[in-house]
Amino acid sequence: MALFNFGKKRPARESGESSHRPFAFFRAGLSPQPSAANKPILVFDNVTKFHRPDQPTLRDVNLTIERGEFVFITGPSGAGKSTLIQLVHRRQNVDEGRILFCGKDIARLTSESIPYLRRNLGIVFQDFKVVSHWTVFENVAIALEILEMPRRLVRSRVAEALDRVGLKGKGDQITSTLSGGEQQRVAVARAIVTEPALVLADEPTGNLDPHLALDILTLFEEIHATGTTVLFATHDHTLLEQRPHRIVYIDDGNVKEARSGLSQWRGTPHTHAPQSHEPRPSAPSISQAARVEDAPSYSPLGAGGSPDFAPLLG
Amino acid sequence: MDLASTLRRAARGMREEARLHVVSVSSLAIAFLGLGVALLVLANLDSLATAWERAGRVTIFLRDGARQSDVDELATALSSIPGVTTVTHVSSAEAREQFVADAQLGASLETLPPDAFPASIEVELAGGSGEVGSQAIADRVTRFAIVEDVETYRSWFEQLQGLLATGRGVALALAILVLFCVLFVVGNTIRLAVAGRRDEIEVMKLCGASDRFVRDPFIVEGAAQGFVAALVAVVVLAIGFVLLRGPLDATVASLAGIRTVFLHPFVALGVLVAGGFVGALGSALSLRRYLVV
Repeated sequence: MALFNFGKKRPARESGESSHRPFAFFRAGLSPQPSAANKPILVFDNVTKFHRPDQPTLRDVNLTIERGEFVFITGPSGAGKSTLIQLVHRRQNVDEGRILFCGKDIARLTSESIPYLRRNLGIVFQDFKVVSHWTVFENVAIALEILEMPRRLVRSRVAEALDRVGLKGKGDQITSTLSGGEQQRVAVARAIVTEPALVLADEPTGNLDPHLALDILTLFEEIHATGTTVLFATHDHTLLEQRPHRIVYIDDGNVKEARSGLSQWRGTPHTHAPQSHEPRPSAPSISQAARVEDAPSYSPLGAGGSPDFAPLLG
Repeated sequence: MDLASTLRRAARGMREEARLHVVSVSSLAIAFLGLGVALLVLANLDSLATAWERAGRVTIFLRDGARQSDVDELATALSSIPGVTTVTHVSSAEAREQFVADAQLGASLETLPPDAFPASIEVELAGGSGEVGSQAIADRVTRFAIVEDVETYRSWFEQLQGLLATGRGVALALAILVLFCVLFVVGNTIRLAVAGRRDEIEVMKLCGASDRFVRDPFIVEGAAQGFVAALVAVVVLAIGFVLLRGPLDATVASLAGIRTVFLHPFVALGVLVAGGFVGALGSALSLRRYLVV
């Protein structure tokens, strides 16, 4: 039984969807049912996670991530940032509470359903998690092969993703021959090639020097500009200071809103994200990308400040 | 399941772990070769048994001093029996000469006692008359006074059947041994492959790969190992057979009265299919134990 039922169903081969799948594949740019469109993309509802019985890593976390948001998750090392991210992609499960992804409680998913959840997510890690002896193409294409996409489509989609992350023409290179920053771009390309509704970044700049870290952050912002919700865990204050996104601060298992991205953006001129029925514009490369402070059009909100979720849904 | 993707990933895995797979296939090929040799011996024993069963032969030993007229009368009676193709009277002297010639002992005829070889009548039966026909003849000729004993070679046939049963048992035991050998070798190869590709598996799982997506290429690799090993064994066996067929036919086979045969194509095909199947099974069992996805 599909947890997400969308009115406009695409052929299984193209969408990676198969019958009897417990977690339907959807992506940014597809129109969901109105009921799904009205729900926040991610809700933490009294979530508690214990790694030691007497000391919860996360305690009674209540957090709502709206569609199209860019949210920094920050806090000191060991505060629970990675745990929060891992709960979303079900590497770990909650001990108490629930996590609603598009309105569905992912804490209750069976192990057979977890792969279908992950196909709706793009995940980037601090240590890249790329297969070093594979080519760049193979590392990115694997996400589409899992969706059983036709080879021809895989080639074009991978080429497009590599272009977006500034690795055009490097598909045939063995990944281990790339620099750290480039390897992280490969990981980002893999995360976005399926056009997921939500991208999780777990300290993606932790192994990079400040300049590269800013480049990678800008890359995520470009992805965000195309309508994808981004959760970006970092403890790098430099990044937080340079970008006016919403900040969620975790300390000692407690979550606090340190800065509301929504309020920051109110009153500034915005442009709408592309409508789902419109042709999707090709994203600029890093060299072309404008800085966030110069590009208010990254906002997920409409000019009136009211959420305009429709184009951002998968 | 995307079969093309599975095969592509399996091929990539085998390419990356080529040395490991070559060692594994070599070990398995030796095991399959042992099984192949046993099956080949069994096939030839079976061929011999079939030949003996189909072409019946009876030797009627005559009493000393049997009159020639009685012998001729018996020979005439035998010739009239349906299924009898030739009836040959072998005198005591001819039997002695034939033995010396066949045995190539080089001994002079004087060293053998005159009554060492009784006179006999050799009866050849047409193909298909077999055991039943020879036994019927034996029952009928024992009534003649000049007949001392009748040899239908039934005991030889029974011994051959016993040998065949033993051979089948040995082949079965070897097959079971090979089965465990394949399960063990393929299982360990896949275990090492899984350990070597831990990072790939993790990446695939994080991208939403199902358990089956991760497991299938390993199953294909195990099947390929088993199949290729069996193929190598059959090819080596065929080459060896071609090289040794001439000398074998000239000695052992001519004495037994048959020509050596190779494995029946269906048997050879069965070995290949079984190799692939057992390889896949070995891989699946190993994955169940070592691959936590």
